[in-house]
Amino acid sequence: MNSQTVMQSPGTKKFPHSQFQGESSPLLHLRHVTCAYHSQHPAVRDISLSVNQGEILCLLGPSGCGKTTTLRAIAGFEKVMIGEIYINGRLVSSPTVHWPPDKRRVGMVFQDYALFPHLCVADNIGFGLNQWEDSQRKSQIHKMIELVGLADLERRYPHELSGGQQQRVALARALAPNPVMLLMDEPFSNLDPDMTIKMRKELYHLLRQTKTTSILVTHDHDEAFAMADQVAVLHEGNLVQCDTPETIYHVPSCPFVAEFVGQADFIPGNIQNGKVETELGAFTNQGGYEGGANVLVMVRPDDLQITKVGAGNARIESRQFRGSENLYAIRLASGRLVHCSASSTEIYDVDAPVGLTIIATHTVLFEHQS
Amino acid sequence: MKKHIFDRNPFGVSLVLVSLLVVCGGSPANAADSLTVYSGRAERLIKPVLDSFQQKTGISIRMLTSGSTELLNRLQAEGERTPADVFITNEAGTLERARELHLLRPVNMKEVERAIPSPFRAPDNSWVGLSGRIWVVVYNTSLVNPDNLNSLLDVANPSWKGKLAIPTAGNEYLQAGVSVIRAAKGEEAAETFLRGIKENSGNFVFGKNRQIVDAVAKGKVALGIVNHYYIFRHLEKHPQAPIALLLTDQGPDGMGTIMNAAGIGVTAHTTHLAEAKRLIQFLVSQAGQKMFAELNKEYPLHSAVQTDPSLPPRKSFRVAEVPLARLSELREPTMTLIERVGLR
Amino acid sequence: MTVLARQAVLSPLAIFSFGISGLIVLPLLYVVYSAMKADFAIWQRLWSTRIPELFLNTVSLAFGVGIATLTLGVSLAWFITRYEFWGRGFWEWAFVLPLAIPSYVLAYVYTFLLDTGGPLEQAWQVVMGPEAPFFSPYSFIGALMVMTLNTFPYVYLLAKTALQNFNVTFEEAAQATGASQWATIFRVFLPLIRPALVAGLFLVTLYVVSDFGAVSLLRFQTFTYAVYQQITGRYDYAAASILSLLLVSFALIFLLGERWFRRQSRYYQMTGKVRPPTLMPCSVSRSALMTGYCVVVFGMAFALPTYWLVQWTSEAWAENEIGTEFLTYIWNSMVLSGGAATLALVLGTPLAYLACRHPTRLNTLCIQGAYTGYVLPGPVAALALLILFSSIPFLYGTALVLVLAYLIHFLPAGLQSMESAIQQVNPNLEEAAKSLGARSYQAFQRVTLPLVRGGFLVAWILMFLQCMKELPATLLLRPVGFDTLAVRIWLEASEELYQLAAPPALLIVLMTIPVVMLLTRKNWQVG
Repeated sequence: MNSQTVMQSPGTKKFPHSQFQGESSPLLHLRHVTCAYHSQHPAVRDISLSVNQGEILCLLGPSGCGKTTTLRAIAGFEKVMIGEIYINGRLVSSPTVHWPPDKRRVGMVFQDYALFPHLCVADNIGFGLNQWEDSQRKSQIHKMIELVGLADLERRYPHELSGGQQQRVALARALAPNPVMLLMDEPFSNLDPDMTIKMRKELYHLLRQTKTTSILVTHDHDEAFAMADQVAVLHEGNLVQCDTPETIYHVPSCPFVAEFVGQADFIPGNIQNGKVETELGAFTNQGGYEGGANVLVMVRPDDLQITKVGAGNARIESRQFRGSENLYAIRLASGRLVHCSASSTEIYDVDAPVGLTIIATHTVLFEHQS
Repeated sequence: MKKHIFDRNPFGVSLVLVSLLVVCGGSPANAADSLTVYSGRAERLIKPVLDSFQQKTGISIRMLTSGSTELLNRLQAEGERTPADVFITNEAGTLERARELHLLRPVNMKEVERAIPSPFRAPDNSWVGLSGRIWVVVYNTSLVNPDNLNSLLDVANPSWKGKLAIPTAGNEYLQAGVSVIRAAKGEEAAETFLRGIKENSGNFVFGKNRQIVDAVAKGKVALGIVNHYYIFRHLEKHPQAPIALLLTDQGPDGMGTIMNAAGIGVTAHTTHLAEAKRLIQFLVSQAGQKMFAELNKEYPLHSAVQTDPSLPPRKSFRVAEVPLARLSELREPTMTLIERVGLR
Repeated sequence: MTVLARQAVLSPLAIFSFGISGLIVLPLLYVVYSAMKADFAIWQRLWSTRIPELFLNTVSLAFGVGIATLTLGVSLAWFITRYEFWGRGFWEWAFVLPLAIPSYVLAYVYTFLLDTGGPLEQAWQVVMGPEAPFFSPYSFIGALMVMTLNTFPYVYLLAKTALQNFNVTFEEAAQATGASQWATIFRVFLPLIRPALVAGLFLVTLYVVSDFGAVSLLRFQTFTYAVYQQITGRYDYAAASILSLLLVSFALIFLLGERWFRRQSRYYQMTGKVRPPTLMPCSVSRSALMTGYCVVVFGMAFALPTYWLVQWTSEAWAENEIGTEFLTYIWNSMVLSGGAATLALVLGTPLAYLACRHPTRLNTLCIQGAYTGYVLPGPVAALALLILFSSIPFLYGTALVLVLAYLIHFLPAGLQSMESAIQQVNPNLEEAAKSLGARSYQAFQRVTLPLVRGGFLVAWILMFLQCMKELPATLLLRPVGFDTLAVRIWLEASEELYQLAAPPALLIVLMTIPVVMLLTRKNWQVG
């Protein structure tokens, strides 16, 4: 397959950030930001994006894609080599300007929470409030403890708390000084799966309730989709797509995004008579490709339906039970493998010949380079 | 909140400690009515005398005890910034060396010239001897007939092979003794002597004079060469020990007994000349001489002061006529000779 | 980027730590420089007179002590980790105690014990007949014995750790293939614990090469002692510098060797799941034999010397010879060591912090510079400071020069604990503090400092004790009227005034014991 080459589909030609340019100033604005530990190998390259007041942005990508570096650059822990970062319209980072982290009023929740082990819950939460008046500080700590539901634990020390409780402390500590925005680095990666889902819900409500502008780093697309207003997908230091979760899933800008956010197969096709002809049948030519062009059609498992059981030129290779559905791997006549999901109540035998029908409402096409 | 941070701050404590240190250690020694003494003489052999001086005059004493040569080096390194006012050593050669390096200043005091004979002073009175110690043969009375030994040089005879104990090459009195032999008997005699004692002593080379005396008393060896007071120290503890002191080289053509002296000099850069002179005055006085010598069973240099009765009377023997002031110039060639012979 | 990099490098803290590091390296550089520029004739003279003997003595002592400590350390560790015999639990920690006795204190006790007519010779001659020859403490054997008894705990501790972490499965695997017990020991067991042993060996030799106190009291001519003699016996700093340079090169070899082999041993020991050996019960006669062996070694290395120190101290006490000056010596020692340790902690903090948090080339260079103090034996450090500071009137002859010498010499020991303490603090904690509005120094003060307090305290105690025990630099640089406990021990011991030397020696030993016990629990590398 040729999907290794990351290509921009004609359908998403415009730069992701362009839709924000010119609007009344966003809370956070990154312009062509490049950061590097070694100048030859930038960790992130030419990132541009904006976040508005109250929005939740997820930085999504595999490990090493530069999402944490971007977050740290926003927080002020990394300097930028090229480009600018604006917070509330003020320039905080550029090759010549660097506001230290303590001046940015940006709250941060670390992956390992980084709770101060020598301080109790209340002192951890009150850490950033030492300039506040005593009574104000106390009431703010109290408010935060209530907010994250840690009442009665304020005298405990971090090591006496469960993972979920620790995360709440970290969150409360970051929110306590009323930051202009909250940055979170893989906040759920240290929790067990049950807890993750619970905490994700809680966090979502809390951020919405407090209208906190947030940036969340994650490698889990489910998490990103569940939380975010906007998802920014990074790959090898580049921002490859920044859109709403729905757009990211259904209209990925390139095969990388398509595969990263869910199961996807790519079927080669050819434009004939304004349609995309493939071995699975014809698709609409949504990309506006010229006739005769070779393209790849993205097919998600829910775009296909198994129809003719016992007859057909495709064959079920394996079945994977996924609870509410079954995921079938199906070998086409050409030898190509595609995936198809079906309700878990319908069970087809492995090795059974089947026929496939396309039920997609839209088509995503990528240029095919052979 | 702030207060509690500073409670945990060790830096403040450090500042206090360091400043304390400066106050304690760095305070200059220039207080009036005080004297700083660099002493190469063991503390217990000098402190009682200095204490008594302090009591008598009210001049307080600060002392640095160390090796004589080390203190000489220190004086030289410190130059005019030295805190030392006087320099006391057990060995006159070091004092003479200090004089040559212009580290000492001459003192003209009647009391000194009256009390201390001139061979025991620097020609210009830059240093003054305070007590004498002789380098002698100690022998085991049940193993040795003293009549067979007339000269110190005789212990180098092959007949004493394996029966002699000697100090190590680093011993200052050995070095001074060899210098005197070189001056009195010539280079060749000195070399023969060194080769002989090296051969005769074998493994009986000791770092401490006390061990030589011990070995002789136990009969492990028949003879040893030591400073005289070690013999009397041993006899004080073990009155029945079969050891005795032998005065050699007393014949008409003998060189005489080798005597070295402990002494004192006033540093060239002292700021307490008057107090230093008072100390010298005290040490050469009859009372001072007696106290100084008796602490270590040495010979007072003041002729009117009684020698400890257990020692051979000062008048009963003749001393080698090599002025102590010459020890310094003799030292380097002596060291080379010792190194060449390969004494350990 | 280059602009930014330069900005980062030239932070005031980095400049400060560069200055400290420079201050520490300066004496070493100066000694090397004066050795290099010394007249070639001096090199030739030393080469034809002193150097061969010193080289032979130093190497043979290091080698001999190495073999002896290896034998003692490994055999003790073997018995203690493999056999259940009488008092095994006691012996397991007891063999750390000899580390609490400074080498010169052990040497001075043994000059008495081994002296002609001394207790040990008498005991020997009771057993072997009245004329049985006995060795003198002032000999190769004497120096060998004292240094061995003083340093074998290092090998013991390393060997014990290696043996306790040793995976018995290897042994069983070898036996399953038909190897005999001896073959197993030589082909599996020893090769596997070899890195730990070699590391211990290097540590011991480094210690022997740079020891001053024991060899000087036993008058055994090694490089360290010769350097001291050159400074004190003759006014010959050029010759002293040359000998120092050779000594430093020696120490460097052993230090680097130790580092290298320790990395190896760490690698070897990290092998998955370990099934530690179980203790074998043994018969009464075997048990008695092992206990006897332990009693002899422990007695010679610790019990006997301590007994005599207590004995002499009580004699001195009874004869009213412990006067008020004794309190002054304690005070001087405390203030000096406390000041030096505290200063070292304060000055070492930026070095350790920068090296851990911002390991730029410059910061790494700085801390490595500070570590050179390791290879600077006391007399050499003193020599360098003598040459460098004798012309600075406000410094020379004050306790500050002494503090500086301690700093140079002992900062490395402290830096090691400080670095590991800082490394254990998650850097995220500082970033979290900064993200909450704390400035860098506030983050350090409010978060890092409280968390490294334990490690820093250990570093302080370590440096404090080293300073308390330090001898050659103290002897050479102490101000007038400023004697410390260590100096008193040396002065009185050189005069063979055992009763007077004992109280300060006993005090140092008693102060060191709890620290040795404490430190060996975490990190055996003490002393």
